[in-house]
Amino acid sequence: MMDVKRVISTIERKYITNNLKKEERIDGRGLWEYRDFKIDADMIASAEGSADVTLGETRIITGLKYDVGTPFPDLPDAGVCTVMAELLPLASPLFERGPPDNQSIELARVVDRGIRHADCVQTKLLCIKEKEAVYILFVDMYVINYDGNLIDCGGVSALTTLISAHIPEGKYTENGIEWTGNYLTGEKIVNELPFVMTYGKIDDVIFLDPSLPEELVCDGKMSISVTEDKITSIQKSGAATFSLDEIRMLGQKSIEIGKELRNKLNLWQYKAKID
Amino acid sequence: MVLIIKDEYPEKLFREDGKRLDGRDKTELRPLKMEVGVLKNADGSAYIEWGNNKIFVAVFGPREVHPHHLAKPDRGILRVFYRMATYSVFDRKRPAPGRREKEISMIIADCIEPVLFLELYPSTSFEVFIEVIDADGGTRCASTTIASLALADAGIPMKSLVTSLAVGKIDGEIVVDLSGIEDKAGDADLPLAITWFNDEISLLQFDGAMDTEEFDKCLTLGKEAAEKIHQIQLDTLRSKYISIQESVKESSSESGGEQ
Amino acid sequence: MEEDEGEIQEEDEFENEETSRELVVPGEVLTEDVKNFLPGRGTILNDKRDKIISLHIGLKQINKNYINVIPLRGIYTPQPGDKVIAIVVDKNPVKYRCDINAKDSAQLKPRNTESRVRGRIGRGRDYQRGPRPQRDESKTDRFEIGDILIVKVLSADRLNKPELTTVGKYLGKKNGGIVISIDPPKIPRVIGRSGSMIKMLKSLTNCNIFVTQNGRIWLRGDNIAYERLLIDAIYKIEREAHTSGLTDRIQAFVENEKTKRGIK
Repeated sequence: MMDVKRVISTIERKYITNNLKKEERIDGRGLWEYRDFKIDADMIASAEGSADVTLGETRIITGLKYDVGTPFPDLPDAGVCTVMAELLPLASPLFERGPPDNQSIELARVVDRGIRHADCVQTKLLCIKEKEAVYILFVDMYVINYDGNLIDCGGVSALTTLISAHIPEGKYTENGIEWTGNYLTGEKIVNELPFVMTYGKIDDVIFLDPSLPEELVCDGKMSISVTEDKITSIQKSGAATFSLDEIRMLGQKSIEIGKELRNKLNLWQYKAKID
Repeated sequence: MVLIIKDEYPEKLFREDGKRLDGRDKTELRPLKMEVGVLKNADGSAYIEWGNNKIFVAVFGPREVHPHHLAKPDRGILRVFYRMATYSVFDRKRPAPGRREKEISMIIADCIEPVLFLELYPSTSFEVFIEVIDADGGTRCASTTIASLALADAGIPMKSLVTSLAVGKIDGEIVVDLSGIEDKAGDADLPLAITWFNDEISLLQFDGAMDTEEFDKCLTLGKEAAEKIHQIQLDTLRSKYISIQESVKESSSESGGEQ
Repeated sequence: MEEDEGEIQEEDEFENEETSRELVVPGEVLTEDVKNFLPGRGTILNDKRDKIISLHIGLKQINKNYINVIPLRGIYTPQPGDKVIAIVVDKNPVKYRCDINAKDSAQLKPRNTESRVRGRIGRGRDYQRGPRPQRDESKTDRFEIGDILIVKVLSADRLNKPELTTVGKYLGKKNGGIVISIDPPKIPRVIGRSGSMIKMLKSLTNCNIFVTQNGRIWLRGDNIAYERLLIDAIYKIEREAHTSGLTDRIQAFVENEKTKRGIK
């Protein structure tokens, strides 16, 4: 809607806030309604899994690469899955070039925790030889266009990438790691489908999936990751405070919305097609 | 990185039937698709799929120079940032920009500058952000080609577009538009770019070994191929607007014409 | 009471008879007849001086013996006399710094705001006698960061930052409504020939609209449904700016949408 390349004006802030109090949003959505998701998977030829996800106009293209290395000493038979995010200057004049800043670190960490605490990736299956060789998976998210709510878009992008995975399966030999001819697919290694829901808060109004103007104007946000029936990860950001009742309500809402989203998106359709 | 499937190069780069490994003739281009205006937050933008290459470009400018000390009082500055995503290559690339990316950024900037009117924009900055999300040989050429479309999309005055591609030698034969494998396993690689307002070369690099006859053939075939690609660039620019004109005509003829 | 459609600064070049629907691209040869034609806006004579070339993607226009290209996109370049929508991004005791969607930020000095100027206008030595003029709320010279102002460009050249003023009819701070942005070259289409497009939009959507040269449009309606419809119509104009029959088509769009969306 408005040109958000610079300082948000007072009248825009008032416009968004006044309308939210009447449960009206500038793009016509309801308070608990997502923008449209558009998903494409496994398009990157050089990657072992990828997903191009657009939420509204926010677009994140994620790719999966692997390495083989030694495991952490306290988890000698488990592989590692690490998530990184880059907010590209292409995506918005609000993003500066340079090393990852707080916003990109927050995006990576919130998505990572949503995946990790849901036991989404079965890291025991990523072990080639205990104590010697495990897979290290790199899930790298690149923000191509910014229109608010990077976290929910990133969550779906990272998850779909893992589902689309086709990692060459290795066996440990004295000559090093050799290819068995098979692949570790998302079907094998992905166990759970976590979804993260981000809410914005302006004054007393809470709403799902902030668009960019709403995000720039809001007092704070809350991101809640859920599996089918459990809350697995939460992040509150910004200076807003939430009452206990509000938090309980959001927890409950997230499970409900998570179920709807899981069914609607049907992410398993994006698993790798290996002949 | 430890690779389980090794990045090995085939012995022969031509098939039994005389075609290249991907089925092409010697002067045939890989499938090429371009689009402008794909990134709404940029002043100008474009996207290209060329073979397996997939590249986004965003242009910002003319705008104020940040940091200010880089501004030139008598002309504008053009900065190009060519970057590759970690997953765009077979062997994962480290996230931070490396020397190769910085060198390519410079070469692309030098290549594009001749078509711009930087002297009309004192103390001004033009920035071109290139992100390669999938690489398969000739990314600097594809990037240059699509960057010139993004600049046109931004409404920045240009003397003409710039078109770039790589020609080279594989298994002793001169070919046009090297793929990733041909680039790595071939005998010679010659990326070049042409500025159409003066029909001259504005980007030229060479790695390999060739005699002068082969070199000459490269330049000739390169120019011919560049002409084909230039046509695709111009059609892409036009099609964004022409498709709207057509759909508007269709919908008004459906509703019985205008009053 | 603060409505206005913005002064129609220039003829709508897109509706102009001399503008063809012919789309041209950068580097395209517009003519080789350099004896009879001169390079106008958006064009250049090549080095050999035997061709006129387009510098933009745009519409070819022939005006007397000038060949022009009307670019379809491009940044806003401030011209003295332009009315634009500014947002205050910074201030210090001697000036306000404003974003006007141009290459440089612009300056608004306190002497160019209403109350101080009123203080200067007078009838010679007697100006201080008699009732003081009523202070109009929207034109106080106390602006804050984030304020939206309708301003006029006083001066703009390559060496100095553009200077602005809030002195003038319909100028000053806006207290409500919303601002949207479109490509500056398409603004004349939103106004239309002799204001035909904007008059139609105002009457059909019951909104106040202020269209300015830097691509920004201020609007306010009775309710958000009307406002959303108006905004959708403006973006449609922006997308189809280079086509013909636009005013009729937009009118049909607005009328159809009103029915579809259940708005009276």
